[in-house]
Amino acid sequence: MNWELILQLTLQAFFGLDAVVFIIAALGLNVQFGYAGLLNFGQAAFMAAGAYGLGMSTYYWGVSWWWGIAFGAAYAATLAVVVGVPTLRLRADYLAIVTIALAELVRLVVRSVTHKDKFGGSDGLKGFARGFHALNPIDGTGNRYGIGPLQAHGTMRIALFVLWISISLGIAYAIARSRWRKSRPQRVRWGTAVIGICLFGVLLKLFQYFDYLGFELWVLIIGWIIVAICAIFVWALMRSPWGRVLKSIREDEDAVRSLGKNVFGYKMSALVVGALIGTFAGMISALRNSNVQPDNYSRSLTFFVLTALVLGGVAKVSGSIIGPMIYWALLAFTDSFLIQLGDKSGRVTVGGVTLLNNSSAIGQFRLMMVGFGLILLMVLRPQGIFGNRAEMALDGR
Amino acid sequence: MKVRNRQLATLAFSVASAAAFFAGTGAASAAPPESCEGPAIRVLVNDQSTGDKVPLPDVAVAINDEAGVLVIEGVTDEKGVALLCLPDKATYTVVLDTATLPEGTALQDESNTKVVDEQTFTTNVKTVAFFTGTAVRETQGYFGRLIDVTVNGIRLGIIIAICSVGLSLIFGTTGLTNFAHGELVTFGGVVTHLLTVAWGIPFLIGAPVAVLLGGLLGLFLDWALWARLRKRGIGLISQMVVSVGLSIALVNFYLMRFGGFPRRFTAWNDQIASSFGPIDITQRDFVAGLVALTALVSVALMLRNSRLGKATRAVSDNSELASSTGIDSQKIIRIVWFLGGALAALGGVVRGLDEGVEADMGAGLLFLMFAGITLGGLGSAYGALVGGFVIGLFVEVSTMGIPVFPELPLLGFVKHGVPTELKTVPALAVLILILLFRPQGILGQKERVG
Repeated sequence: MNWELILQLTLQAFFGLDAVVFIIAALGLNVQFGYAGLLNFGQAAFMAAGAYGLGMSTYYWGVSWWWGIAFGAAYAATLAVVVGVPTLRLRADYLAIVTIALAELVRLVVRSVTHKDKFGGSDGLKGFARGFHALNPIDGTGNRYGIGPLQAHGTMRIALFVLWISISLGIAYAIARSRWRKSRPQRVRWGTAVIGICLFGVLLKLFQYFDYLGFELWVLIIGWIIVAICAIFVWALMRSPWGRVLKSIREDEDAVRSLGKNVFGYKMSALVVGALIGTFAGMISALRNSNVQPDNYSRSLTFFVLTALVLGGVAKVSGSIIGPMIYWALLAFTDSFLIQLGDKSGRVTVGGVTLLNNSSAIGQFRLMMVGFGLILLMVLRPQGIFGNRAEMALDGR
Repeated sequence: MKVRNRQLATLAFSVASAAAFFAGTGAASAAPPESCEGPAIRVLVNDQSTGDKVPLPDVAVAINDEAGVLVIEGVTDEKGVALLCLPDKATYTVVLDTATLPEGTALQDESNTKVVDEQTFTTNVKTVAFFTGTAVRETQGYFGRLIDVTVNGIRLGIIIAICSVGLSLIFGTTGLTNFAHGELVTFGGVVTHLLTVAWGIPFLIGAPVAVLLGGLLGLFLDWALWARLRKRGIGLISQMVVSVGLSIALVNFYLMRFGGFPRRFTAWNDQIASSFGPIDITQRDFVAGLVALTALVSVALMLRNSRLGKATRAVSDNSELASSTGIDSQKIIRIVWFLGGALAALGGVVRGLDEGVEADMGAGLLFLMFAGITLGGLGSAYGALVGGFVIGLFVEVSTMGIPVFPELPLLGFVKHGVPTELKTVPALAVLILILLFRPQGILGQKERVG
C-alpha cells in the first residue's frame, strides 16, 4: 500500500477544484437552506445556468466571455423567480419538490436534440474558455507548477527557499517573543518556537504534493479568490439587518410577519442570492473542464453539495468552506485506498470475500457511503462540524 | 429476391460513391476485418422496433473525410457491425445507405449521416450507432396517433398513480415528503429482474414475490429508520434530508450491484401487438396495465370501504384526533409503509416491462409522482390516484399538439406538440400552475397548505 500516494491525493483533493466548486455552491445553498430555511434541492440547475451562460456567450453569440457571467446570472435569477413565486408562500416541501423537478428538467432541456442548436445537446458546449485561458499569466503549455519551493528550479528555487525559511523563522520568533507568552517560562516559549519550525518543515514536505498543470493552477487561484469573495460577502450579508431578518424568518415566520416584514420578499431575495452564488460554482466547473456537459448537473450534484454542507455545518460560513474540503478529501482518500486495496481490475477482496467487483463499483460504493453518511449526520450530529445546534432550525418544524 | 435487391442496392451505392470506385467495391466485397492496426470506426446498426436491439446485417455504410471524399466503405455483418479501418484520427462523416436497410424499417433520426469529430475521436475505435425505429407504419392520421398516445398515457398514468399512492399516504400519515420513494419503485424492477432472469424463477411467480418484498422493504425502512426518527422527534425538514441520503445510498447500491445500463425481463419480451378496434396494444402491456388498474381500484375501494382504509384516512387527516378515538396510528403507519412499498414495487415491475429496468428508473418517475400528488392534493389518497393518472396521461398526450392552434412565436409547441424527449417538461408547468392557483390540489383540503 502506497500511503504517500494516498496522502498526496487526499491533500490535493482537500484544496482541489472539486472542493472549490462545492464550496461556492455550498455557500449559495447555505444562504437558502442554512440561513433562510429554504430547502433548495435544485442547486444543480443554478450551477448549470452559470455554466451555460458562460458557454453560450462565446460559442453561439460570439461575445466576450465576460458577458457570459451576466447571462449566467440572468438565467439563474430568472429560474429562481420562476420557482420562488409559486412556492415561497407555501410550506417548505413545495420548494423542495419544485426545485428538484426544475433541476431535472433543465438538464433534460439542455441535453435534448430539439435544442441542440442552442445548448449543444448531450455533447454540451466547448471552446468558450479560450478567452479565460488567454489571461493565464502562468502558462498553458503543459508544464507542471508546484507551490512549494521543492518544485521550483534554478534561482526561483533558492529564492523560494530563502523566503520560506525566513517566514518560518520569523513566525517561530514571533511566537517565542509574543506578549501573551511572556508570563510562561523561557523553555515553554522556546519549545513552542521549535515546534513551529518543525511544523514548517512538515508543511514544506506536504507542499511538495501540490503540483498542477499551468492552467489548473490558474483556475485554482481564481477559484479560491472567488471563494474568498463569496465567503466574505455571505458573512457580511448575514451580519447585516437583512441577514438577521432572514434568520428570524427561519426561526419563526409568523413572528417576523407580525413585525410588518415582507417575508415573501426576504425569502425570494435569499433564493435569488443563493442561486447567483451557485452560478459562480457552475462557471468555475465549466472553466475547469473547458466544457459544459449537461450530465454534470444531475440532481445528485445538489445532494452531494448538501451533504458537504451538512458535514461542515449549516448556517456557518466556515462550515460551508471546510465541509466540502473534508468531503472531497474523504472521497479521494477512500477512492485511492480502495483502488490500492483492489487488484488490477479493481476487484476488492477482504478475507476471501469479494466486496467490490470492479473499479466502477468503487465509485458507486463511495457514493453509497455518502448517502449513509448524510443519514448518520442528520440523525446524530445535524449541526455538522462547525454548526451550532441551536441554529439548526431544521428541528423546529 | 429481397436479399438480391439489397445486394444490388449495395452495389449501386458503391457505384454512386464514384470518388474511389475500385477501392470501394473492394472494401464492400472483402470480409470485414476483425481488428484494425490504426484507428477505426465501428458502425453499429440495430433495429429497435420490437423493443430489443436486433442487429441489421448487410447495411452499406461509407466514411467520408472532411472534404467529402470517400475514405472507406463496408457492409454490416450478422452482428450488425461494420469495422472500418482509417488512416488517422480526423473528422469524418459516416453515411448509411438507407436503401440497403431491410424493407419496412427506417432510421429513428431523420438524417442518415453522423459526424465523428476529431476532438471526440479519443478512443482508438470509435463506435457510431444507427438505430432504426418502429417499422414505417402506413401513414397514421392525427386521430390514429392520438389514440396511440392516449393508450400510452393511460398506461403511464396507471403506473404513476400506483407508485404515488404510497408517497401520498406516507406524507399524510407521517408528514414526511419521501425523496427516496423512487428507489422503492426501482426495487420492484431490480428484484424482479434478479429473480426471473438471474435465478430463472418464472415471471408469474417472481413478480408477485418482488412486490411482496417491496412491501417488506417499506416495513423494514419504517422500523429501522423512520419510526426511530419520529420517536426522537427529528423535524420534518431534517427527515426530508435523511430521505435524500437514503435515495443516494440506494441508487448507488443498485448501480453497484446491477450496473448502469437498462436491462429487460426475458419473459414476455416478444409480443406482437393485437388490435382492439383502432387500438394496437401488445398482450403484455394489456395484462400488465390490467393488473395495475386492478390494484389501483382495489386500493381505492379498500380506502373507501374497509375499516383499515377508514382508519388510514383518519390518521392521514388528523393523527392526534385519530389516536384519541382509539386508532393505533403507529400500526396504521406501518401498514401504510407496507402498502406504499408494495405498490411502488408493483409500479416498478410494470414500468420494467414497458421500458426495461435501470438503476435510476424510479428517480426519473419521482418528479412525475410529485406532480401527480400535488395536483391531486398532497396527503389525499384519492388525490394521488387521480392526480397521478392525469399527469401520466397529460405527459404523453402533450406530445400531440393542437393542429388548429395558430403558429405563434415561442408557442410552437402548442401547435406541434412537445418533442417526445421533453414530454415531462409540461408536468413542471402543471406543478407550478397548480401551486400558483390551487396549492391544495384538486382534492386536498385548504388548511393543509401553509
